[in-house]
Amino acid sequence: MRMMGVVIATSLCLTTAAAAAEAPSDAQIAAIVVTANQVDIEAGKLAASRSHTQDVKEFAKRMVVDHTGVNKSAVELVTKLKVTPQDNPTSQSLKSGGDQNLRNLKGLEGAAFDKAYVDHEVAYHEQVLDAMDKVLIPNAKNAELDALLVKVRPAFVAHLEHAKKIQAALAGKS
Amino acid sequence: MPRATVRPFLIALATASTLGLPPGEGRAAAAAAPRSTTHTVLIDSLRFDPQVLTVKAGDRIVWVNHDPFPHTVTAQGKSFDSHEIAPGHSWKYTARKAGEFAYACVLHPTMKATLRVQ
Repeated sequence: MRMMGVVIATSLCLTTAAAAAEAPSDAQIAAIVVTANQVDIEAGKLAASRSHTQDVKEFAKRMVVDHTGVNKSAVELVTKLKVTPQDNPTSQSLKSGGDQNLRNLKGLEGAAFDKAYVDHEVAYHEQVLDAMDKVLIPNAKNAELDALLVKVRPAFVAHLEHAKKIQAALAGKS
Repeated sequence: MPRATVRPFLIALATASTLGLPPGEGRAAAAAAPRSTTHTVLIDSLRFDPQVLTVKAGDRIVWVNHDPFPHTVTAQGKSFDSHEIAPGHSWKYTARKAGEFAYACVLHPTMKATLRVQ
């Protein structure tokens, strides 16, 4: 439980850190987008195989499929634009937050696993939406990159609502 | 000079179109055309557009998935169900039964829309 608090606190600090930093370039935005999706794909793969709760498993599979689709579009676009994603403090922080989440989840099972995974999904999607609105969309210079971010934003909103519903259902069970 | 060459060309076109079909032929062809219409619903950014589509029984509807991940078009009660429509793909349905059908994407339950068949 304490570990979970640390993970969420770390992720929530991210946006503030990103907002305070200098405006990211398109190459940095590309790295943030790809890393953000990748982190959630990895957590989703783990949850799809480890959870025994049908709703959690299905949600996790959805995260894997949707974020893989978004990443495919992002990679196709940056390849077309000849932009090489450039690592930066925000993408690195996302990556380390994701690794920490995986380490935490791997030590859990059953209801504790479900709760930790879903709680993190809620925090993660809130954090990514906040970063999209405050940092990524306002700073994307290329019109197509900006359009892609705007286009996939509703997916993050829908995932957040879905995660919150599961969170409420899990809380009702215990 | 260009104008002088354009005019005979236009006259030739007008003559050809007048002579091309006997009077009334065009109208008869239109009347014989199938009455069913094809409507398109775009699936983009987790939204069905239009949100409410009104069609006549016998019309065909094509849902086109513009998102980078799959969606479904699933009526409440499953009177129609596309199952997964892959990114860039579409699903066709001919509406035969009149009524109002609320439908959603089962993969993303926040995506809802309505098909009205008259």
